[in-house]
Amino acid sequence: MSPSLETIGIPALDRHLGGGVPKGFTILVVGRPGAGTEFLAKQFASTGDAQTTYFTTTERDQDIISVMKQHGWKTSIKIFNIGVKYYETILEKRLEISKYRQEGLRYEDIKKHKSDEIAHEINYLTSLAYEISKLPTPFRVVVDSLDFFLENYEASEVLSALRTIKAHTQHSESLSLITLLKNVHEPRVQSSIEDMADMIIELERETVQHEVKKFLIIQKFRNNPGLVGSMPCIFGPSGIQLQS
Amino acid sequence: MAEVEKPRERCRTGIDALDSILYGGIPRSNTILLTGSCGTGKTSLALEFLIRGAIEGDRSMFVSVTETTDKLLANVIRYDFLDKKLIAEAKMVLIDLPVIYERLGLDKAELTMEEVSLLVASILNVVRELGIKRLVIDSITSIGYKLKTQEKIRDFILRLSKGLSALGCTSMLVSEVQPGTQAYSTFMVEEALADGIILMGNMERRGDLLRTLQVIKMRGTTHSRAKYVLDLTQAGVLLVPLLKGGSVNL
Repeated sequence: MSPSLETIGIPALDRHLGGGVPKGFTILVVGRPGAGTEFLAKQFASTGDAQTTYFTTTERDQDIISVMKQHGWKTSIKIFNIGVKYYETILEKRLEISKYRQEGLRYEDIKKHKSDEIAHEINYLTSLAYEISKLPTPFRVVVDSLDFFLENYEASEVLSALRTIKAHTQHSESLSLITLLKNVHEPRVQSSIEDMADMIIELERETVQHEVKKFLIIQKFRNNPGLVGSMPCIFGPSGIQLQS
Repeated sequence: MAEVEKPRERCRTGIDALDSILYGGIPRSNTILLTGSCGTGKTSLALEFLIRGAIEGDRSMFVSVTETTDKLLANVIRYDFLDKKLIAEAKMVLIDLPVIYERLGLDKAELTMEEVSLLVASILNVVRELGIKRLVIDSITSIGYKLKTQEKIRDFILRLSKGLSALGCTSMLVSEVQPGTQAYSTFMVEEALADGIILMGNMERRGDLLRTLQVIKMRGTTHSRAKYVLDLTQAGVLLVPLLKGGSVNL
């Protein structure tokens, strides 16, 4: 492999791309629910020489590791579980708020915490960008998924955080892979995200005569539009494989 | 034809000169606007109203919006007559509105109509629970910035003053206005809704910056409308009539 290229985790795809993805790329993986974007994210996470940091908003740590083990992938990744933290802090808080709203506030409820003890709500978008900026370089980062951030924060803030992550990835010659649901977000937001990505992989399935066919589509490859195209693939015991 | 009205019970502010301006005090259950630009002594006067009340047995509550009550206690209140026991025994209660915001999840920049009534209900709840007879909100202007529209501010003040009045609580809403403005409030609706307006100001005379106080309106009582010079001392707010002579520039 050329020193300027990195494996994406699917050997046949690396070959199709002429050896791998250029260092510094931000890869966007899109698909409908169930398309396998999280699966691809894990396969990507388990490869390469750099330390992988895996930001998850939906899964438990043990589920990620167990899927990776099942397929015989390297599991030496660092997991940063934003989903769990979010549920622990914000959802618990929301529960408390609805209790106060329903039952009414009493003096005790106000008195027991003085103003300076007000817990600052963690902004997970800021902490995502911050954690990535602190990583030793070069790194391999997975963000699964961007949907969580788009649901909880202003689109403009998400785009700005994404720009920071992308710039840092590019500058440090690292790799970032970000998953995103298809056709869920506003077209304008979706286009802005797609515009930022250096490479877009779409996972798609199609039912042909009662048979489900799966495709890995390269929707975008920066500075090499010739690579754009669709390839049939299977989700095998060792991961996603391309069928030539 | 003059109707014979039963004189309203008074809430003596405890600031002697102000009580004589008001012929005995603020009519009980009134919600009044204490308005002026910064540094005119609004918070000091409001706090004295509460402390004097607490001493007389009116349980009092200070709702702080911008400044934390800790800071207020540490730096602002320097009155000789403030016995810390009043606070320790909760005869005078200080609460931070941001804590209520936080408890109720009102952290957005603008509140909805529903959240406005929730906020009012919460303040009234505590007033009812503790049997508060004197309330100060410092400032209504800061709350106004969170309510944004005149409709919501109107709704907030109307619901609040109605509720407070029903609970027999005499209240002062501190209102911040820009120096030099003709208006008595920032959002214009506050002054129309209040039962009374006490205007505090700065006035320059012969190079001295004087603090002044004037009762503009007070439902339920006759009052002097003269301008008074106000002095903030550790013994409390002192008021003397503004002598007209000498104010003329020669």
